[in-house]
Amino acid sequence: MTCTPLLPALLLLATPALAQDPALAPFAEETASAGFTHSFTGEWEFMVGGGTAVFDCSGDGNPDILAAGGTAPAQLFRNDSPQGGALRLTAVPDSGLGETGLSGAYPIDIDGDGILDVALLRVGPDRLMRGLGDCRFTDASADWGFDGLDLWSTAFAATWEKGATFPTLAIGTYIDRTQETFPWGNCTPNHLYRPDATGTRFAAPLPLTPGFCALSLLFTDWDRQGTPDLRVSNDREYYKGGQEQLWRLEPGQPPVAFTEQDGWQRLRIWGMGIAQEDLNFDGFPEFYLTSMADNKLQTLAEIPATGAPLPRYRDIALKSGVTAHRPYTGGDLRPSTAWHAQFGDVNNDGLSDLFVVKGNVWAMPDFAEKDPNNLFLQRPDGTFMESGDKAGVASMRQGRGGALADLNADGLLDMVVINRNEPAQLWRNTGSGLGNWVQIAPAMSGPNRNAIGAWIELRTPDGRIAQREITLGGGHVGATLGWQHFGLGPATTADIRILWPDGTTGPWQTVTANAFWTLPQGGDPVPR
Amino acid sequence: MYRFGRLGLALGLCLCLVPAQGIAGSGTDDRGVILRDWYRMILELVRHTPTYTPPVASRSFAYTAIIAYESVTVGQQRWHSLGGQLAGLPPLPAPDTASPLDPDAVLNAAMELAVDTYFSNTGPTGQRAKAAMAKAMDRRVSEGMDPALIDASRAYGQAIARHVIDASLSDGGAVVENMGFPMAYTLGGEPQDWVPTSLVNLQQFPLLPDWGNNRPLAMPDAGACALPPPPPYSEDPSSPFHAEAMEVYETSKSLTDEQKLIARFWSDDPMLSPTPPGHWVSIVLEIAARDGLPPEQLADLLARTGIAVSDGFIANWRDKYTHDLLRPVTYIRRLIDPVWEPLLITPPFPEYPSGHSTQSGAAASVLTAALGDPFPFTDSTHVADGLPARDFPDFATAAREAALSRLYGGIHFRAAIDRGLEQGACVGAFVNAIKTAE
Repeated sequence: MTCTPLLPALLLLATPALAQDPALAPFAEETASAGFTHSFTGEWEFMVGGGTAVFDCSGDGNPDILAAGGTAPAQLFRNDSPQGGALRLTAVPDSGLGETGLSGAYPIDIDGDGILDVALLRVGPDRLMRGLGDCRFTDASADWGFDGLDLWSTAFAATWEKGATFPTLAIGTYIDRTQETFPWGNCTPNHLYRPDATGTRFAAPLPLTPGFCALSLLFTDWDRQGTPDLRVSNDREYYKGGQEQLWRLEPGQPPVAFTEQDGWQRLRIWGMGIAQEDLNFDGFPEFYLTSMADNKLQTLAEIPATGAPLPRYRDIALKSGVTAHRPYTGGDLRPSTAWHAQFGDVNNDGLSDLFVVKGNVWAMPDFAEKDPNNLFLQRPDGTFMESGDKAGVASMRQGRGGALADLNADGLLDMVVINRNEPAQLWRNTGSGLGNWVQIAPAMSGPNRNAIGAWIELRTPDGRIAQREITLGGGHVGATLGWQHFGLGPATTADIRILWPDGTTGPWQTVTANAFWTLPQGGDPVPR
Repeated sequence: MYRFGRLGLALGLCLCLVPAQGIAGSGTDDRGVILRDWYRMILELVRHTPTYTPPVASRSFAYTAIIAYESVTVGQQRWHSLGGQLAGLPPLPAPDTASPLDPDAVLNAAMELAVDTYFSNTGPTGQRAKAAMAKAMDRRVSEGMDPALIDASRAYGQAIARHVIDASLSDGGAVVENMGFPMAYTLGGEPQDWVPTSLVNLQQFPLLPDWGNNRPLAMPDAGACALPPPPPYSEDPSSPFHAEAMEVYETSKSLTDEQKLIARFWSDDPMLSPTPPGHWVSIVLEIAARDGLPPEQLADLLARTGIAVSDGFIANWRDKYTHDLLRPVTYIRRLIDPVWEPLLITPPFPEYPSGHSTQSGAAASVLTAALGDPFPFTDSTHVADGLPARDFPDFATAAREAALSRLYGGIHFRAAIDRGLEQGACVGAFVNAIKTAE
């Protein structure tokens, strides 16, 4: 391990950003030219869903795209985009993932073989698909002892509990779809799949009752105590007596829901998606919760000098400018409906931006029909500026799932959006002259190959440390797994340290900007 | 199955109730079941449709119940039509012919159209549920019946509903945009004036500022139950206004578990409950089920309750925007405790008078007049949400508890509660003057 001293010149370069509007990241839609021909279709049972899993299945290091199709078959697109060039996708017809009934999908290396597998969430039994390489998959549900149940699955999260050789999965479910006339109050339970005694299969699913119609789950070490808890965002449209939830998950112990006595504050929203990022550099993540009309941006109400904080949050969406409660362009001023949300630095200025996918549920007259997606650029003062229309991504289609990922390996985050009953869309980030960047892939040799639960600390020459937990879950029924992208602004190097999920802390290691780096546990950074 | 005549005798119609011959199911009367099931649906739709803030919900409850009442009582001499008695509602149409009509089919068709109209904004699940309900109910009333009879009955039920719906279009409350929040609004700017209390962007302007201009149904005008002003605003610790604020503050610091339960029981938050007016509708339905009330009486109670809460919200909203008073959380944080948090979420509109107090007072007034005092009942409205049922000896006690719940919740001063109940009694008196049963 080497720890490169910071150059004084770099310190000068890293002058604090001025309190001015951030640089715009322009996007160009390349849906058609890239060959991204896909629609998520369906009626009532697919009014939610439409997730996308963005991950490398081909082994070339670039993320590929799996798009849920609802009543249409899901499609896997191999990413053949040349570096820095126009986006180019190729459908993989024999991937083994072309199932109907998918609401979403999440990539995960379940068996730790270094090839990403996929969890398929379905209206019907879920499936776990083993990655075979070269973007081919086979159903391994039975091999892994996975009982997919016959429910309406709408959320997913995964973690590796301390000492476990197999992941723990959480699958969120929605309404009991047999209740046609009175579906309200008929949320089905979420389920926890823990490893069985063999450590190579899942035990029988453990119901997380009560279930309140979850549309997003996330294992998060929100209090930095080293053990992730399960955050659940629920759709208040359907529950009775429900609220947002946080489950404590200690290894070997049954899950226990946080209560008001634990400091948990009752919040009832149309929860649809969770995004997490430490926006204020205090080491604790903020949470963006999508809903209808106003969305929430939560920050811890109090961080004690010692010990763990209580799960009490302040809503700072209004003062941060990210309520995103109604369309900002297009003339339809009715309230918005938000689904997938994701943080990412689209202009590489070192500040995380916020991408929100919007779309009416299904001809709901109280809500906007023309509801553009949001692309909020963060200002140095922590507020955000809407840039969706100027950036060219203000799609008015009925958005659901989405992803920010660097598809053409140029250091700029591109954008995928899955729309309901309308074609999905793809945009290439065409920014130029933006900041520097680095992309990091912490790698473990054990079963948790992708270091889910690790914290990446990235120190820029100005001394500021960005901290990000590698999570698997959240969003709206889909996620990106792979390179962790950081914008660096003017910095040409960055110091990286990994807090591994096994509790060990790696050394500070310096990497150069504008490059991809694999960070093996116990080893030196390896350039791509 | 009966042959109907309307009580609209001015039209010269007097049809007899004659059992039909040779039709399966003749003589059965499922109107109670039809009312019960449609109202179960309505209470869900109110909860799960974002448009239905309490004033908007109260209007839908009123007009839906008027349609139910007119459909249930048509042709029965004992029951007077509301047509001509309520503002803006002309006499109801009589059947076109002397053809026999099936009362179940008449009521079901009327309810289906009423629900489809007054709960049109519901989302895909509500639409799907409505369609499923309509299909099931239609099958129920049509099975084994003469199709011509069903068609005629359906047409007449729809005519009743259409008549009421058409009348309601001009009352000022038919169109609600942006979930009731204006796109622009100028705040008063004086220390005593209402200011936003929420971090929700949509709620930076107050809810339905023009609702008090709507046409009431039983009151002669929206100002018929106008209240005196609240105690004069003052920041002087010795002033009555400050004393009211201190009462809210100190109450919040010493809440018993029972008081917290009461606050939550009557919180009746939009989109998380059937709303305050729906709470009283739920009470009526529970009493009807317990006591096996005949459908005519149930419809009468629903109509009176619906009109009472609807007029109550018009009177109340008129005064809210006349006095434009700030909420306790604003005053207390400004002058007493900058970090104070009330137990309940403060609603996004002016404080005086308390809406729940007014509408509860109005509902209690009409139910007491109709059912008597004392009248013990159990209120299980929120059992499915985990709040236990509560028992009350009479309606006035329930209304007082609903009103006081706003003090426990930290969202109203005493004057808004007490005067609100008085305003409700005033509104109730107008509703009680309506003539229904002979």
